[in-house]
Amino acid sequence: MAALPRRIIKETQRLMQEPVPGISAVPDDTNARYFHVIVTGPEDSPFEGGLFKLELFLPEDYPMSAPKVRFITKIYHPNIDRLGRICLDILKDKWSPALQIRTVLLSIQALLSAPNPDDPLANDVAELWKVNESEAIRNAKEWTRRYAMDN
Amino acid sequence: MSETVIDERVTDEIAALKAILLDDELNIKENDRGEPECIETVLFPSTGEDSQSQYVCVTLIVQLPVGYPDISPTISLRNPRGLDENTVRLMQSDAEAKCKDFIGQPVMFELIELIREHLTRSNLPTDQCAICLYGFREGDEFTKTECYHYFHSHCLAAHIAAAERYYREEQEKLPQWQQDATNKFQAICPVCRESINCDVESLWSAPPPIDVEAAIDFSVTTELRELQKQMAALFLRQQQRGGIIDLEAEGVKTLVRTEDEPGATTDGPNPPGTSLNAYSNQNMQPVNHMQMPQSKQSSQTQNHAHYQSRQLHHNYHGHNNHGHRNRGRGRAHYRRQFDRVRQTESTPR
Repeated sequence: MAALPRRIIKETQRLMQEPVPGISAVPDDTNARYFHVIVTGPEDSPFEGGLFKLELFLPEDYPMSAPKVRFITKIYHPNIDRLGRICLDILKDKWSPALQIRTVLLSIQALLSAPNPDDPLANDVAELWKVNESEAIRNAKEWTRRYAMDN
Repeated sequence: MSETVIDERVTDEIAALKAILLDDELNIKENDRGEPECIETVLFPSTGEDSQSQYVCVTLIVQLPVGYPDISPTISLRNPRGLDENTVRLMQSDAEAKCKDFIGQPVMFELIELIREHLTRSNLPTDQCAICLYGFREGDEFTKTECYHYFHSHCLAAHIAAAERYYREEQEKLPQWQQDATNKFQAICPVCRESINCDVESLWSAPPPIDVEAAIDFSVTTELRELQKQMAALFLRQQQRGGIIDLEAEGVKTLVRTEDEPGATTDGPNPPGTSLNAYSNQNMQPVNHMQMPQSKQSSQTQNHAHYQSRQLHHNYHGHNNHGHRNRGRGRAHYRRQFDRVRQTESTPR
């Protein structure tokens, strides 16, 4: 039995050969199950212009169980808590082995475009998002500018 | 008079279609004047009565414009199953050519015949298994689900077993009154989430996919190394401006340390500032589960230890040949392999 499942190798090669626009995922030098990820903030979202670092880890029984993903860069979002943990169904009970690293990261990017304060992980952020959306969006933009822009 | 007279050629064609195809095989939509405007039918390869050995299918949708058959209809092929993109594209262009040839005459039967021929010719899944991402080879055992999705039997067995394990674990976490009384696990298709029914025992007896076994090893390329550098640089820049989530300050690290295996913390493989460990302890829970982290402590501890030992194992055995001394040679070797893979991948199967 190989140290690293073939599927992980194949996904890694594809990520290099056919990169997804706005997403890069690079395996770590010492642990090929650990990926350094950058997701760019989607256009027309409060996260536009931001480069968000995430870490992604493929557990031993991947793809039978979901990758573990977490934001490393601070982000103001109702479905992402202050530890960077993400509330997304496909990372939990809606995981399917037909999903891949690239589809997971695309879903996370889509979550940035469509915050869902009714299914909150960061309660205070979600609360503000519901009672005063414009202020919440201002905060999200400010956090993006302060922490995630690279200039 | 404004009363519409439907072209006799069309009424005859529709009547013949209805006579030949079964009701559930044919869907004809009419506009508000009662003229047929769209014909939809699911097509299978011609295998006689044997539906078990039909491995591919596609839905043919034909939009009839006003003036058909003197004007060509619009063809679309939806829900292809077991077919790769190239095959579907070829079917599409052949069908369009056929429509051109038949301007002025009804073309539905010709189209159905054409698509069936294509399906019969490629009546073996040409797409890849969505679970392992490798193709189907001569000698591979594969399974067709009720929803016409294909998986290597071995891969599907692994999926169903893992999904059932997950289901049981989730059930056990719930208070008794919330548990599913039937305690009956329902497997679903990994691609479309339709319920599927399979005999897992017999699936497990299948050998692993041939391509998976024969795949080449992977090592780090120059491009990869360059990307790694860029990532690391961005991390440092964001860290300098306080943009990186500080797990230590959030009190997570303390939680982690208590579970760490001796030795795993000091020279662990995690890049600086990262937190693989945090996952195992602080599983990302939907918010309604977050109020009761204590109850999950024990299982998480186990997971964590499990992961740590695995990670160590991986480092000892998986990367021995990536040391600095061998780096140059390994890279060249990988290049060659890489190019070969690229070639085989671009060759349509």
